[in-house]
Amino acid sequence: MRSLALICVAALIALVAGAAFTADAQRAAEAAQRLPLIYWAGEIETAEGLKQAGIDQIAAPPDKAVEWRKAGFKVVAISQAELARREKLLVPRIAGRANVASATRRPWIDSNGWRFVRSPSGKFYYELPQGKAALAAAEAFAYGADAVLKIDPADLEEAGKMLAFLRGLPRENLPAIADIAVIDDGSLAMGEVLNLLTRRNLLFKLVPSPSPKFRVNLKLGTKQYPKSAAADPSEFAQKIRRQLGDENRSVRVYGTEVVICRLAGDGSRTRLHLLNYSGREADSLRVRLRGKYGQGVIKAFGIESAALEDFVTADGATEFSISKLGIYAVVDLPAMK
Amino acid sequence: MKRRTFVQLLAATPLASTVHAKESEDAPKYKVVTPYKPAAAPGMPGPYPGKVVSVKSAKCLSDDGLKINDEVVREMMERGMRALTGDAKTIDSWRRFFTPEDVVGIKVNAGGRPWVVSSPPIVAETVRNLMEVGLKPQQIYIYERFQNQLDQVNYAPHVPEGMNIFAAERQNRRVDNSNYDPNVYAEADFFGEDDTRSNLIRLISQKVTKIINVPNMKDHGATGVTGCLKNIAYGSFSNVARTHFKGVSHTLSFVGTLASVEPLRSRTVLQIMDGLRGVWHAGPFAPTLKYVFFPRTIQFATDPVAIDRLLLDIIDDERKRRGAVSIWNRDEQTLDFNNGKNRDEDPNTNIIIREPRHVEYAAKLGLGVHDIGKIKVEEIEI
Repeated sequence: MRSLALICVAALIALVAGAAFTADAQRAAEAAQRLPLIYWAGEIETAEGLKQAGIDQIAAPPDKAVEWRKAGFKVVAISQAELARREKLLVPRIAGRANVASATRRPWIDSNGWRFVRSPSGKFYYELPQGKAALAAAEAFAYGADAVLKIDPADLEEAGKMLAFLRGLPRENLPAIADIAVIDDGSLAMGEVLNLLTRRNLLFKLVPSPSPKFRVNLKLGTKQYPKSAAADPSEFAQKIRRQLGDENRSVRVYGTEVVICRLAGDGSRTRLHLLNYSGREADSLRVRLRGKYGQGVIKAFGIESAALEDFVTADGATEFSISKLGIYAVVDLPAMK
Repeated sequence: MKRRTFVQLLAATPLASTVHAKESEDAPKYKVVTPYKPAAAPGMPGPYPGKVVSVKSAKCLSDDGLKINDEVVREMMERGMRALTGDAKTIDSWRRFFTPEDVVGIKVNAGGRPWVVSSPPIVAETVRNLMEVGLKPQQIYIYERFQNQLDQVNYAPHVPEGMNIFAAERQNRRVDNSNYDPNVYAEADFFGEDDTRSNLIRLISQKVTKIINVPNMKDHGATGVTGCLKNIAYGSFSNVARTHFKGVSHTLSFVGTLASVEPLRSRTVLQIMDGLRGVWHAGPFAPTLKYVFFPRTIQFATDPVAIDRLLLDIIDDERKRRGAVSIWNRDEQTLDFNNGKNRDEDPNTNIIIREPRHVEYAAKLGLGVHDIGKIKVEEIEI
């Protein structure tokens, strides 16, 4: 009788876990297919401009949705109230004087990656000044975020080009790769730590409890990581980095401090997302990935001639250079047996 | 400063001892990656370790120090090279180092523009001698890291048409890396910076077969002096400014470490120290004549450490003469980091604790002779 009860409990746990897994997998699959939406409150007379930009799907106020649909657009109706309920994001950019910053005066990047990781089923929106639509679209796409972009009309063409680029990428549904496990207490302090980890390309995954699969398990309020230690998030992130060890990091980028990476893979293939926040082309980056990979393929927004150069595998790592990086690029690599 | 004084200072100053102990604890860990093997006889220290020929002429500059006398410079160059090698003919001296098949890089220093740079007449005379050996202009590269600095010095009118004038980056903004070799680098984490690599200029690893180093006699806020070692090291690698931050500098070990990286070490075969003018404070820059002085000297060697050991004394003596704190001073009260303006106005203000012992460190890496008692200086007066 007792055995039967145990079997029933085990079956129930498996069922719940399976359901959770299915929900996670489904969410990941949806995210992989998701393109950010341009929120367009303009009158129907602006339809031609959208079409010229190659944009055929928008978010629009409900009272305008019908006429936009009649004009041939796929429309997601979003009211002002719904928009306001979404989490507003930072304008992705370099804050400060990146032009004169040296390596030891690291430029300050406003990025949103950590918010997406923290709330994978969250709903977000950007309110963007001119010149930032394409980067915001790429940022949301790289993290599979459900994001709506209120853009400056002057950015329509650039946003359209970015959306076309994103649409043209081979679809992938790979799990994120991380080096650090984080038990998130939801606090502001932890949020800032996640922000700093993201900005320094210290890949993390939120987990419910410590996991031996990760070299570093980070939980604030413990003896090892007292809350006071996070008072200086920058220094704290540096401490985490040193605990992990640069050699053990899944991704490193050299030649810039303004490119943020996201890495996903399943052991047979890997996708690297590269987001350049500088507002100008980055020249000759060097990327190091832990693990051995075969020659990959890069697709870089706005740079048709992009290629992976000086490709080497040595010491358990793979390195390559990217001669030019605009706003965004993805690199797909097969794992080497 | 004489060697004995130097040793005494270390022994008598508790602060110095403390700092040195901390240095060894905090010494960065370096990872050097290069596929290049050292030459059988690396260019540094080369065939004349510990030997420096110092040629001085009051007439090499106008009385006010602003104009260079090309003819006197030529004579200084000829006498200096012959004295270095012991040859009777100047051309034979140059042939000891170069063959017509070589591709030669001339590492100039344009950072101290306009007053304290590798003087165009010295560079021109170097080129002329290389062409006497049989090199074509296309086989010679004047190089520096930053194009905007080279543009201001403007070597082109002084050298034959067809010669290459090359800069690795447009300016000191770290936005163009394509001229650096991804496979030759020194890696270290100094202050938690994300980019921990300094890569060698591709021209050096992939093109030139020999290098002539033409530095200047300069004070330096981080290293104490910038002479042969720093010019060839920091002037040939990317991403080096990261070694000094908030008053602290890791130049003590990084200068020598970079200079030791192959093929830079093996290919740098001749040191010509341009000491026509120098800067005794606020270096490596010299935008005005405020801190410029006039040694009216050119030194010749294959050993960069020996020249730089002499340079430490030259700069420190000049500072003492002017009532400025010593380059060996480690008193944090002199420190006003992130205040270049104050440093520029007051020679008793430092923005970084200087690391003049980088020269001694380089000697320990085998780059040359640091012991002043073992350095043989041949002085020539013209």
